[in-house]
Amino acid sequence: MSVVEVKGLTVRYGSFTALDNLSVSIPSGSVGLLGPNGAGKTTLIKTILGFVTPASGSATVLGHDVATEDRLIRQKIGLMPEQDCHIPGMSAVQFVAYAGELAGVPPNNAIQRAHEVLEYCGLGEARYRKVETYSTGMKQRIKLAQAIVHGPKLLLLDEPTNGLDPAGRESMLDLIQSVTHEKGLNVLVSSHLLPDIERVCDEVVVVMGGKLVASGLIKDLKVIAGSPVDVELRETNDGFVKYLQDHGAGVEIRGPYSYRVQSTLSEAEKRLLVLAAARESQAQVRGLVLAERSLEEAFLTAVSGGGHQFEF
Amino acid sequence: MSSSPIADLSYRNYDGPLEPINHRWWSIAKSTMRLGFTNRFTWFFSFASGWYFYAMIFFIFIVDKVVESQPNPDAATAITSFFGSVRWNDKFLHGFQYGQFFYFVVAAILGSGAIANDVRANALLVYLSKPISKRDYVIGKWFGVFLPLLVIMGAPFLLFYLYGAMSFRDKGFISQDPWLFFRMLGLVTFCAGFYASLAMGISSMFSQGRSAGAVFAGLYFLTNFFTVPMSFGYMAMTGQQGRGRHRQEVAQSGLDALTYLSHASLDGINSALAKSVLGNPTTFPLAGNARGPVAGVPAPTIWFGLGIGLALVALCLYMAWRRVRAVDIVG
Repeated sequence: MSVVEVKGLTVRYGSFTALDNLSVSIPSGSVGLLGPNGAGKTTLIKTILGFVTPASGSATVLGHDVATEDRLIRQKIGLMPEQDCHIPGMSAVQFVAYAGELAGVPPNNAIQRAHEVLEYCGLGEARYRKVETYSTGMKQRIKLAQAIVHGPKLLLLDEPTNGLDPAGRESMLDLIQSVTHEKGLNVLVSSHLLPDIERVCDEVVVVMGGKLVASGLIKDLKVIAGSPVDVELRETNDGFVKYLQDHGAGVEIRGPYSYRVQSTLSEAEKRLLVLAAARESQAQVRGLVLAERSLEEAFLTAVSGGGHQFEF
Repeated sequence: MSSSPIADLSYRNYDGPLEPINHRWWSIAKSTMRLGFTNRFTWFFSFASGWYFYAMIFFIFIVDKVVESQPNPDAATAITSFFGSVRWNDKFLHGFQYGQFFYFVVAAILGSGAIANDVRANALLVYLSKPISKRDYVIGKWFGVFLPLLVIMGAPFLLFYLYGAMSFRDKGFISQDPWLFFRMLGLVTFCAGFYASLAMGISSMFSQGRSAGAVFAGLYFLTNFFTVPMSFGYMAMTGQQGRGRHRQEVAQSGLDALTYLSHASLDGINSALAKSVLGNPTTFPLAGNARGPVAGVPAPTIWFGLGIGLALVALCLYMAWRRVRAVDIVG
């Protein structure tokens, strides 16, 4: 089931085309939105929020048309923006409760809900402090708190780990992971940090030049054509490599004891071939796994024109 | 048992009731008012704005008691004749005029940061990513400044009016001008809207509440400084009592120009409108029913105050409307 359906969407700013006949279906679950600067990610988010009027095409979010039902859409969406944002002069609990009221939660429910989400986001102890006095990590958390206070069906996270130290980043990713995978909230994460996307998302949508260049499950995107296997030996062994090459396999030496083995054989046959080579050359195999690209490699391949469409 | 006061710390979706989508502006207005009154200066200047009405209540109360204590209250003395010649509209007019500075200060405190501080803190992101339209935001912010100003302006006048209506009906309080209450209500409504719109419009032009406040203050004082010599010029031209040229000898066009220029300030606009609505004052402020040493500047036509005031209100609201843009808030 899709939470966002975009069909032939074109958005222009004057003569600049930000989204060019984009069609994409963003499924439920946790999805990463990837693309280089100027790719159209932000414009897509603006469109989802109903802030821009498309030149052509249509988009629906949670079944509502962005052109006519933008307020209903925003009722069901929570946005955690990239920039720091707060209401000046408010404590955290006032701020989050107010965000709830803005989303229509009655004042009494909003204050109760604010306490709940602040506890959940790890700000329970600091809830009565002014938001201006918060550290960067706390500000990130309170942005998440204000985004989920009204119980959105879709959460838009724009660079959620921006400016965080490693510990803060881990903590924030844990929080996002918990919201998405344990609580079933649909999340669209826009980030330049591919490890973050890989950590919290199951699927990605890659846009460039206002067009869709790749989309699908991350594990599918990382698959390498021909299904090579990565082998790790205890020590360097020339006989192991020679045996494989003699049996028609290509061997790429990736490190002192690491090899990537490629051949036309099936994955199971390749594994058997590797084990046979180890037996013949007296090599001790420490690791044998199906090789896959990093998400970064997959992303670079996609944006450099080698991308392909995955069906959800 | 959890050490937290909230036992269940896991995230739960909210499926409770929701307020109607068209009422969100009221949440913004309430919040703006609440934040405005966390500043103790708001309270101080709010109370101070009604000083003339409080002073008049005290003054009239004393006069009333003194008259009552006279052995022969019907004897024609200066104090016993006070109620015979009092012009109640003047009291309200003077109270309204003397409150202008305080109204401006309260408007500046409440309104200067209303949009500017939101811009500085990226708060528009919070507002406009919720089911809030630009209209809700601007209307909510405007009412958040307007309603407190209306109460601050209206409460002292209402207090004075109730005192007068309950104590001095037999001394012409109601019969002198049966429409006085509604005239004052209209005036304070206009004035509150005027200052709220100005504060909002100026606030929308800046990303710092203090900068907006400084510009608002500059506009208030500079225009005020301009109107002072204009008023003196008018009074010099019309002549002081007992010496100087007679009014008819002075070119009428020059006087007309000075009449307008004397009201070409923020509080002058309100003052002009007040004079048009309540009538030109015939008595001197804080001097019982005595006439002033020189003639005050009369009101220009009602269209002057109303026209310029409404034009400024429209301009400021347009500025605020233009500056609040949802499309700028992401990325």
